Amino acid sequence: MGADGEVREGGIMTEYSIIGKPTPNVDGPAKVTGEAAYTIDMTLPNMLYGKLLRSPYPHAKILSIDTSKAEEFPGVKIVITGKDTPGGKWGLWRRFRELADQQALATDKVRFIGDPVAAVAATTEEIAEKALDLIEVEYEPLPGVFDPIEAIKDDAPMVHEDFPSNINATRHIEWGNVDEGFAQADYVREDRYVLEAAHPCAMEVHNTLASYDKGTGRLTVWTSTGSPYFVQQNLAEALKMREGDVRVIKPHVGGHYGGKNSTMPDCVNAAILSMKTGRPVKIVFNRDEEFTTTEHRTAQHIALKLGLKKDGTIVAFEAKAITNGGAFTGLGATTLFLTGTFITMPYRIPNYRYDGVRTYTNIVWGTSIRGFGAVPSKYCAETQLDRAAKDLGIDPLEIRRINAVAPGYEAPGQYKFESCGIQPCIEKMAVRVKEKWPKLEKDEGIGYCGFAYMSGGIFNWIDTPYAYSSAHVKVNFDGTVDLYSQAADVGQGHNTVAAMICAEELGIGIEDIRLHMGDTAHAYTDLGAWGSRETLMNGNAIKDAAGQIKQKLIDIARLKLGENIAYDLVAKNKRVYLELRPERGLSYYDLVKDAIRANDGVPLTGTGHYTPHNKGMISPAYGMGIMAIKAKVDRETGHVDAQDVLVVHDSGQIINPLGARGQVEGSIHMGLGYGLCEEMPMDQGMLLNPEFVDYKILRTRDMPQIEILDVPTYEPNGPFGAKEAAEATIAPAAPALANAVYQAVGAEFFSNVLKPEKVLKAIKEKEQKDKATPKAKGKGK
Amino acid sequence: MKTITTDFEYLAAATIEEALDLLSQHKDDEYRIIAGGQSLNTAMKHRLIAPEYIIDIKGLSDLDYIKFNEKEGLKIGALATHRSLERSPIVREKYSVLCEMEENVASVETRNWGTVVGDLCNADPAADPAPPLIALDAKLKIASKGEKRTVDAEKFAVDFFDTTVQPGEMATEIQIPVLPPNTGVYFTKYSQMKGDYALASVAVLITLDKKKEICSNARIGLAGVGSTPIRAKKAEEVLKGKKITEALLAEAAEVVKTEISPVSGIEGSADYKRELAGTLLKRVGKEALQRAQKA
Amino acid sequence: MKRELNIVVNGESYNFFIEPKTLLVQVIREMLGMKGTHQACDSSSCAACTVIVDGKAVKSCSILALQVNGKEVTTIEGLADGTNLHPIQQAFIDNWAFQCGFCTSGQIMAAKAFLDENPDPTREEIQMQMDGHICRCTGHNMINEAIRDAAKRLQARDAAKRLPAQKSLQSQKWAQTAKSGKGA
Repeated sequence: MGADGEVREGGIMTEYSIIGKPTPNVDGPAKVTGEAAYTIDMTLPNMLYGKLLRSPYPHAKILSIDTSKAEEFPGVKIVITGKDTPGGKWGLWRRFRELADQQALATDKVRFIGDPVAAVAATTEEIAEKALDLIEVEYEPLPGVFDPIEAIKDDAPMVHEDFPSNINATRHIEWGNVDEGFAQADYVREDRYVLEAAHPCAMEVHNTLASYDKGTGRLTVWTSTGSPYFVQQNLAEALKMREGDVRVIKPHVGGHYGGKNSTMPDCVNAAILSMKTGRPVKIVFNRDEEFTTTEHRTAQHIALKLGLKKDGTIVAFEAKAITNGGAFTGLGATTLFLTGTFITMPYRIPNYRYDGVRTYTNIVWGTSIRGFGAVPSKYCAETQLDRAAKDLGIDPLEIRRINAVAPGYEAPGQYKFESCGIQPCIEKMAVRVKEKWPKLEKDEGIGYCGFAYMSGGIFNWIDTPYAYSSAHVKVNFDGTVDLYSQAADVGQGHNTVAAMICAEELGIGIEDIRLHMGDTAHAYTDLGAWGSRETLMNGNAIKDAAGQIKQKLIDIARLKLGENIAYDLVAKNKRVYLELRPERGLSYYDLVKDAIRANDGVPLTGTGHYTPHNKGMISPAYGMGIMAIKAKVDRETGHVDAQDVLVVHDSGQIINPLGARGQVEGSIHMGLGYGLCEEMPMDQGMLLNPEFVDYKILRTRDMPQIEILDVPTYEPNGPFGAKEAAEATIAPAAPALANAVYQAVGAEFFSNVLKPEKVLKAIKEKEQKDKATPKAKGKGK
Repeated sequence: MKTITTDFEYLAAATIEEALDLLSQHKDDEYRIIAGGQSLNTAMKHRLIAPEYIIDIKGLSDLDYIKFNEKEGLKIGALATHRSLERSPIVREKYSVLCEMEENVASVETRNWGTVVGDLCNADPAADPAPPLIALDAKLKIASKGEKRTVDAEKFAVDFFDTTVQPGEMATEIQIPVLPPNTGVYFTKYSQMKGDYALASVAVLITLDKKKEICSNARIGLAGVGSTPIRAKKAEEVLKGKKITEALLAEAAEVVKTEISPVSGIEGSADYKRELAGTLLKRVGKEALQRAQKA
Repeated sequence: MKRELNIVVNGESYNFFIEPKTLLVQVIREMLGMKGTHQACDSSSCAACTVIVDGKAVKSCSILALQVNGKEVTTIEGLADGTNLHPIQQAFIDNWAFQCGFCTSGQIMAAKAFLDENPDPTREEIQMQMDGHICRCTGHNMINEAIRDAAKRLQARDAAKRLPAQKSLQSQKWAQTAKSGKGA
């Protein structure tokens, strides 16, 4: 993977020293020796352990809480309930104050099984755990509602007062005229789907260590998060403190995948307990708490209507989604928005309409898990497309080629693709598929799925006044560099990308750079790791900052070299030299010394920032491509074997091919899980599989080999032409697999999770259908 | 993360006699015997059990053996780990079905510490060892202070997570007889993720007559399809005395479905597990037949 | 009532008095302060907590510490030789075999025990051995490649030291009988 010295759009040959070259993780030695400190590993002197008492009911009034016995238990330092908290409410959708619906501990009622009602701090974790059993809570159970279609009915229980019909958010997107479009279509089909919840399953559970400084009244919090900035804001609101008095530090994070964007009760209650006891407090969730009380991928009902011409061209597309929001907003409202946009990509759709509704229900809330709304929405759209293709007698890859967008495509008022390699991706796929899988055995099939995904989001639901990403670079006298940003490496490898971008811009090596990332005390805000934004947005900010310093070095070099003004100077290989006369240049280290001397002894600094402007509603840039999966179906057991995966991917200029490959492989693992075995069955709001014995994910023996082909393009909005490199590949896995099964045995699915029993049932239904109706030839409907 | 929070009195036995003494002393107490503890410790973490006494037999190295002789067959001591059974050269030679079963039990790490006998005592109705042991006509030796008895493998488990082992007793050994000539044994389990807990599993032993034409003996063991592992005697009768064909195996599969009582769960419905057991029987029976023909 | 525990961890002897309910992982993380061994589940399903006891990879969260009395334990902290990374650790870095890194210690320790016993594994053998480990980041394939690469590096290192890369005697016997295809 990766392109080095390849011709880009515009025909410019670009050879980078570092960008595009496989670069080992800068955090590697720390992680392979066990030295990398995660929040869960951290301790402070005099530390207490906190635990949360949680509601056993999905919906109930809290009548009374008696904490006296727990308070008397030896080793317990404090027990708090909702009335003991500062009472601030918070949420990520801060732009709409009514959607700031989270609170530290439930006060009047509980809204999901696991909603915390009390918190204990004790000298050991075991004592805190035992103390929970001594807290007596009197509940008045209320009827609960668990499905969004039930939740919008008139007689449904109200999860939050002031939200009629339990509607948390709605979204309407429209361009063209769908009704006219359908009238012009030769073929129209409608399909309805049920998409299940899934859990991100980060290996490090949610946990927080909070330390309140009595003297200054300031709070420091270490937490396993994808965005220290979000936590800082949310904590300040929850605790009614100034943001500047709350410092959030993100240590190494053991997985995130979108499930650690919201500020959760472990964080807020650890802070409150610390403030009240004057001692550091740590709260660590158990794995069952992680499954039952932390954010998951939103379950949805989706209805689609697709209109095509008989040559396969899409003329109209309509989508309706009703999503199971659960008890709070989180980033679920964003998922609602993005469900309605990613579903259209990467195809030309002249007429489109989307209506989405997110409802509150009495389960833990659904949010922004990896892939955002693309995962459920592409599952529906791409399996529907395969059926349409079959009815029209068009090859499934061909129908995607026919409709694939070209560079410059614009969905009116929504998004525009500047770099856009989907068509060459499909061409490359067509060639490679024939070579790779020339012959199919019985009950084997190949399924395709096109995909595209954002490189960070534009809509400012967090209501930040700051630039979306900023970075500060300081160059010291000896040429070493300190890079500061709140950007978050949560495992995706952003620290390495950040160092690479900074090093490339300054023309030095990664070994010269020291990172200071993920700490809000460095006032260089970044919104965090979600929506694949770090490479493009933080990368741009870093390149901007480093570029300012590079300019200072170039200015000094120009002065010292005294060359013809027409010559350009570049910074590379630890020198600054004339691009056309490389032998004429000066050492980076010497120039740094000169520049600092010339700057009154002040180290060289640059502060860069990036906020997308005029780039539509979604994102400044999109990664995209096409995936093919070969699968084999066992007709007797219903077992689906995902045998082999092929991805052709336009990720612009790949910064680190090693990291990009890792992300593609990891996202496919998660996407296949969504398509095969990951589910969250609930009974009246109670999760039935809150441990890894029952929540099934793919293991090493279940993973197919993955071949990744690259179509390099140049994204003008990204640093060195880069854009998102791998969240995109989660969405296509499940639909490509379902399509492979459809191609292999004709079984159709209107929900994800192809468990063997479901597949067997679908195969039997198809067999019966075939027996009942004679084979219809020609085009359908 | 969860830890064991219930306090228990810890008693470690250094010899078998000491172990049986302790068991006799604490017959009327809430105790549990721990060998590898690979199931027990997780159950305690989740407060599913809260014993007052733990009697640790992990140190009884005298019971850590796997031995074979041509007369008495194979003997697996109570402290033999899953891994030692999996890697035993003599077992691979004489009873390869047991190695094949062990390769897919839990994970290497669990197999390195957990014992085969301990797993049987845990009596998870979906656990892997029981079906091949039933097919091999294994017996469990159970000892108490001054007493010994032997129980057929298929009668060892009596209910979900409950065995015939009484207070004061301890399972000490698995005995597997020498296999007659022309015998083939095969086992497989089905789970969506490879090597995971079985949705259903089947083991079949087929012994052919001297001419390798007629099935002189058949034994069928299943797991995951009832409250205990099951021996499908009626299905065995379908095969015995006949030439085994695919049609005959299909017939036996239908009979097996009537002998089992699977329970619906989030992993699969009872109906699906029933169908699955039948499908597996056909496949396993075919393999066992091929092994018997090659033997 | 507390009981005495004597163990050797990473070559150092330790003596503790512990509650019998104490799990090995608690001794390692809390009493010894070695945080490299992680816990990611409560159902003995993920193997993130894997350490080596008397040469065998085991789940430290699922073993009573007292059962390890008198034995030798190796944790991730005991793998590198001072500042020199073990070839397995280096192979993991060079092959991008981790992302968040939380499961990595367990993976590396399991790989170490495995490669000590089987120095030249096939991809399938690696998958069979590592199947107990959950990794949510990598999708597993790159870990398997790292282990394959580590095997090569160890063979090269041993060849340089003129030590034959030999399977343990038992592994050899077992492999021989496996090939013969005999048995029921």
